[in-house]
Amino acid sequence: MIIRKIQIDNYLCYYDTNTFVLSEGLNIILGENGEGKTKFFEAVDWLFNGENEDLELLVSAKKLSETEIGESFRVRVSMTVEQYGDSKIITRSFLAKKEKENQCSTSSFMIEGIEENSSGERSQVDGAALLDRVFPFQIRKYSMFKGEADLNIFESDNALVNLINLFSEAKHYDKYSEKGTFLREKAEKAVEDSAKRDKKNANLYKKLEGEISLLEKEKAKYEVHLNSTDEEIRKIEGNLQLAESHVKNADALETLNKRIKGIEQKISFLNGRIDENYTTSLFDENWILVNFEPFHKEFAEKVSEHSKKRRELQSEFDKDKGIKLGEKKAKADLLNNAVPLPAGVPSKAHMEEMLNDEICKVCNREAEKGSDAYEFMMERLKNYLESQAVDEKEDEEDEPLFKLDYTNRLENLSISHEDNLKNLRSIRTKIKELFEFNGDRKKEIDELNEQLEKEKLERERILGNSSIAEEKLVDVLKNYNAWQKDLKNQNEDQLRYNTEHQKLETQLKIKKEEKDRIDTDSANSFLIKTRDILRDVEAIFIDTKEKKFDEFIEKLQTKSNNFFKKINIDAFTGTIVFTRRNKVNRTIVEVELQEDGRVFYKPNQSLLTSMHISILFAISELATETKEENFPMIFDAPTSSFGENKTAQFLNLIFETENQKILLIKDFLHTDKTAKTLSIKKEFESIRRDKAFWVKLERPFDPNNLKTINTQVITL
Amino acid sequence: MARKDTILKSFLTHDLLESKYEFDKADLPSTVREALSSDKPIIKAIALIVDGLDGTSPVTDSVLRNQVTQFLNEAL
Repeated sequence: MIIRKIQIDNYLCYYDTNTFVLSEGLNIILGENGEGKTKFFEAVDWLFNGENEDLELLVSAKKLSETEIGESFRVRVSMTVEQYGDSKIITRSFLAKKEKENQCSTSSFMIEGIEENSSGERSQVDGAALLDRVFPFQIRKYSMFKGEADLNIFESDNALVNLINLFSEAKHYDKYSEKGTFLREKAEKAVEDSAKRDKKNANLYKKLEGEISLLEKEKAKYEVHLNSTDEEIRKIEGNLQLAESHVKNADALETLNKRIKGIEQKISFLNGRIDENYTTSLFDENWILVNFEPFHKEFAEKVSEHSKKRRELQSEFDKDKGIKLGEKKAKADLLNNAVPLPAGVPSKAHMEEMLNDEICKVCNREAEKGSDAYEFMMERLKNYLESQAVDEKEDEEDEPLFKLDYTNRLENLSISHEDNLKNLRSIRTKIKELFEFNGDRKKEIDELNEQLEKEKLERERILGNSSIAEEKLVDVLKNYNAWQKDLKNQNEDQLRYNTEHQKLETQLKIKKEEKDRIDTDSANSFLIKTRDILRDVEAIFIDTKEKKFDEFIEKLQTKSNNFFKKINIDAFTGTIVFTRRNKVNRTIVEVELQEDGRVFYKPNQSLLTSMHISILFAISELATETKEENFPMIFDAPTSSFGENKTAQFLNLIFETENQKILLIKDFLHTDKTAKTLSIKKEFESIRRDKAFWVKLERPFDPNNLKTINTQVITL
Repeated sequence: MARKDTILKSFLTHDLLESKYEFDKADLPSTVREALSSDKPIIKAIALIVDGLDGTSPVTDSVLRNQVTQFLNEAL
């Protein structure tokens, strides 16, 4: 799409009819401040977006003053465009009627559209619809820029979403990640419901769900912490870089900063190695037993003595028992050389009967009292009676001397202490070594701190050699040191948050796996399989969406850097880097300038402008590729920080870019202060362009009287 | 190539299908129509979703859910 003509009638300083017949490539509109450049831009913006309000403020004061009371005239901005060989005219206008001096009413506000085909046939169409068809409003958003600040489209968090919706196929993948999550969540729910029906795991399941939810909340908390720490670090680094920019010897400063960072890391590492947790060591690691050996010796001696005594007693006891056993055996031998009768034969009653009768009824012989036979029978009876009593005695004799073996347990304890003595003996050495180790590390830290102080002093010396005034430098130095401290703290916080975040992730993984195991045991297997597949489907959808986003950003980055290299006329040879950052609820893109991988936080305005224009040209190129057509770009004072030489180079470079561009600039004009005349500098002759205009106020004019204001359009 | 086929193709180039499911990329379908007749549940599930979201007659969330889960619950 090309804008062939813009016509402005009675719009503010554009009195009567003013026509800009534009060319396809680079159109430059020159104009001094306050002579109609910005009003041109605003007129076009009004054509695109104007509302039916405060219209009387848009009326040309000169035209109104020349109009009779009761007479009317039209205020109009019109654009003729060419698209696919056809011509289209879009006009926004209203009627101004002079009611009394300096006052008018407005009416019949409208936007009209006319289409003209290649054979010259014209037809009236809806103007707003025609405008959106030839120059879609989303594209217009990236086509018109007023001033340098307007160029940074990534100031807005929605910029990425807008760009992706406009120019990237990534937009089609958004809904898939949403639906993937939706399906996976429903499948998880089905599995959970099924698992909960199994009552045996109900309590554990509930507990796990609670723990998982708690861990997820904790994790989210750390994500917020990490995000804000990250932002804070970048802010501090930016401040430091700005402070450093005042310093003449920047290279030395960078080297020093690296060294300081290195020393601080070493100190932090050494501090981590020092273990002064002496209380834990004292109690948990048995250091308290360092004087245990003499006690053990006394104990071991007592145990040994006791053991000896016990053995002696046992020996005595065994000996007695042996004698008794021996006596018993000898007696038995004496009693019978042959095999004796059983002790109870004849019975006790028979024996007593035979003794009373003094007759041996076994061999039928007399056995008078005092005879051998009588004595024999008496002995037998005695034996018998003893045999009954012996049983009880034998039971007594089987009883051990010591029912419980405490001595053995004491001996074992003593042996085990003896074994431990080896470790206890080395405790003194260990304590000594630990104190020495900690002492050495502390000494190293002291040395490093000393070195750090020196490096910091050196840094202050370099910082002192600064390009700013001394009183300001004091502030810079004060802030610089505070920022360095903040940066160190923030870096430590970030490390801690990262560790905690990782820990929580690990815990969550374990809990989820535990929950999955219950699911596998309790839920229906087909539900589990469905859930597993939908988990994978969700992962595929999310990864693919992110890949498409990244591809788009990569493309935008490559294109932007191509333009940046062309436009960038400074010595700086950095790179534009687009970084996708996932915020809590959304994804945004941040644009940074980097040099050798180091972020260039505070580029000067001219560099920023080059960067922003490069990105806009890249977007314009993307629009051309996606929509398969070119769209014009209109910039009002985009290069005010450039200076004339750089603007000249910039214009010559963008002349080579493809689409139509309309640039409003105040350069290349010369004011003769004596004659109070304006002229175009001859340097402008060497500027490559397709068309140029000069908008200037008709002389003479009274800056305090709007009725004298009329911008003339001069085609150069 | 229709948009839905392009979208399906970007999903089917995901590494997971090769690494976990051990599908040979050369054997994977290139259109939603082919994928809907696939004997591999995950491929058919993805095809159902793409057809539901970018096909000729887009479906509501609950219809999509019924189609996909019913198919998977029966196929697995």
